[in-house]
Amino acid sequence: MNKLWMEKRNIAVLIMPGLVFILGLILLPILVALYLSFTNYDGVDYRFLGLDNYKEIFFHDPVFWSSLRNAVLLGVAFILLQHPLAILMAIVTPHTGRWERFLRVVIFIPSIISTFVTSQMWVSILSVQYGLLNRVLADIGLSSWKQDWLGNPDIAIFSIIFVAMWQGFGYAYLLYYAGIKGVPSELYEAAVVDGANKWQYNLRVVLPLLSPVIRINFVLAVVAGFKQMETVFLMTGGGPANSTQFLATYLYSKAFRDGLFGYGSAISVLFVFFCLLLTLLMNRLLKKDVGEF
Amino acid sequence: MRTLSKPYTQLVQIIFYLSLALVAIAQIFPLIWMINFSLLKSGDFFGSYILKWPSPFQWKNYADAFKLGHVPAYLLNSAIVAVVVIAVTVIVSLMLSYVIARIDWKWNKYLAGLVMICMIVPLYSTLLPNFFIFNKIKLIDTYFALILPNIAFLIPLSVFIFIGFLETTPRAIEEAAVIDGLNLLGVVFRIIIPISKPVISSVAVLAFLNTWNEFIMAVTFIRTDTYKTLPFSLIQFTGEYASNYAAQFAVMTVIALPSVLLYMIFTEQITSSLTAGAVKG
Repeated sequence: MNKLWMEKRNIAVLIMPGLVFILGLILLPILVALYLSFTNYDGVDYRFLGLDNYKEIFFHDPVFWSSLRNAVLLGVAFILLQHPLAILMAIVTPHTGRWERFLRVVIFIPSIISTFVTSQMWVSILSVQYGLLNRVLADIGLSSWKQDWLGNPDIAIFSIIFVAMWQGFGYAYLLYYAGIKGVPSELYEAAVVDGANKWQYNLRVVLPLLSPVIRINFVLAVVAGFKQMETVFLMTGGGPANSTQFLATYLYSKAFRDGLFGYGSAISVLFVFFCLLLTLLMNRLLKKDVGEF
Repeated sequence: MRTLSKPYTQLVQIIFYLSLALVAIAQIFPLIWMINFSLLKSGDFFGSYILKWPSPFQWKNYADAFKLGHVPAYLLNSAIVAVVVIAVTVIVSLMLSYVIARIDWKWNKYLAGLVMICMIVPLYSTLLPNFFIFNKIKLIDTYFALILPNIAFLIPLSVFIFIGFLETTPRAIEEAAVIDGLNLLGVVFRIIIPISKPVISSVAVLAFLNTWNEFIMAVTFIRTDTYKTLPFSLIQFTGEYASNYAAQFAVMTVIALPSVLLYMIFTEQITSSLTAGAVKG
């Protein structure tokens, strides 16, 4: 094998294409955004502003902060609502016999379909004029609960959070399901011999073994909440009255709707910075926890 | 648990399974609803029904969808983009992964770190700068504007999956091949690519799903009709034909169906590649 390491030219041939793609289309754009973020570029003309865009964002832009708050809210909803339910479903699925494969496919389907389609579908379900949800509420005698689910600034964010949880549920579930399938089946037999029933086995054997998976998936959930874009972009575009903005939708509307390219670039740069920071932070927390084992 | 009487635990179990069935239905129902409406008359959408048996089946909606939504042309564009993205992503990522996983080289640490950082960078933060770059080098409104960034953002995940696979593959065949006089490129193209077929199919399916379902880059980088992809079929129905709900639902079904079918065929591969990192830890 030593001979292979000497082939510097061939190593370069293998690396180059991949490197060109990620340098040219991921890292170079970030550097361009960094440069533009110090300007007031509007597509035609620009002046160097220094840190003015960042000052404006940090001190005079409540929407930036509320989009961060929405991200935190979604992350919390993922961890408190979506993941416990996903874990429960994943634990039960292997005990359902011939339904197992069916359940696994059905639950994951929303995650496999284009967000473009699912968002449009939910817009139809939640619509105030013709939506399915309001119609069902009226049919079961709860007319007073009827809402403008996406048009009311106080409620829209919760509708968005619900749909985001629905869309991502299959993925969260799949991760736990795979983790549970990785638990050796001898453990189940051993537990049965020791007189445990299914509930006790799942609670005392499966859940503890699953805890590293749970921890990693919580990290992924927080990051996913932070990076949320497509569902919001397609369902509300951040509105009404910016009540459903997330960082990505906010930077998109600042840049492409308002034409504030310099300002949008500054949000882009902060977005990348926060993502790196969050990942680093979560990894640090994770390592510490694993150390206790 | 043991102190509880048997009928009681049975009741708990029934309630438990019922609520889980409810979750499963919640996951699948909206899709059934969508397909159902794609087969009804447009006016039925406003009725007070939740689901209704289509009589007769309104296949005309699909014909309308194809015509009003420009489905055939956009479908072709989506397919062209997907095929190129899949082919390039697989080859480029496998080449890069081989060096990271197998070659004992001082720069590997930095190379792996770079790929990791690219995995963290969100696509959305590159939309604006890429728009300027593409504008400068005249890539707006070309297939390249969709193909290039799609590949770039698929590389980190694909490299991650390939490295995971290579780590479980013994080096014996490669060593034998080197002794027989194969060079590095020969090893990758004549040995590694053929033995990696199962994992290549996983990466290819993931690349397909990503490209097929991608819309934000398409919306940002494409203006002319010639290069529009499938999501634009649906956009047609937000304007002029907004009241043709049935055709709109037919378009949604047409976009969703290939992904669902592919998932049903490749369930195992998709599951193993998607869960690779998160489950092993």
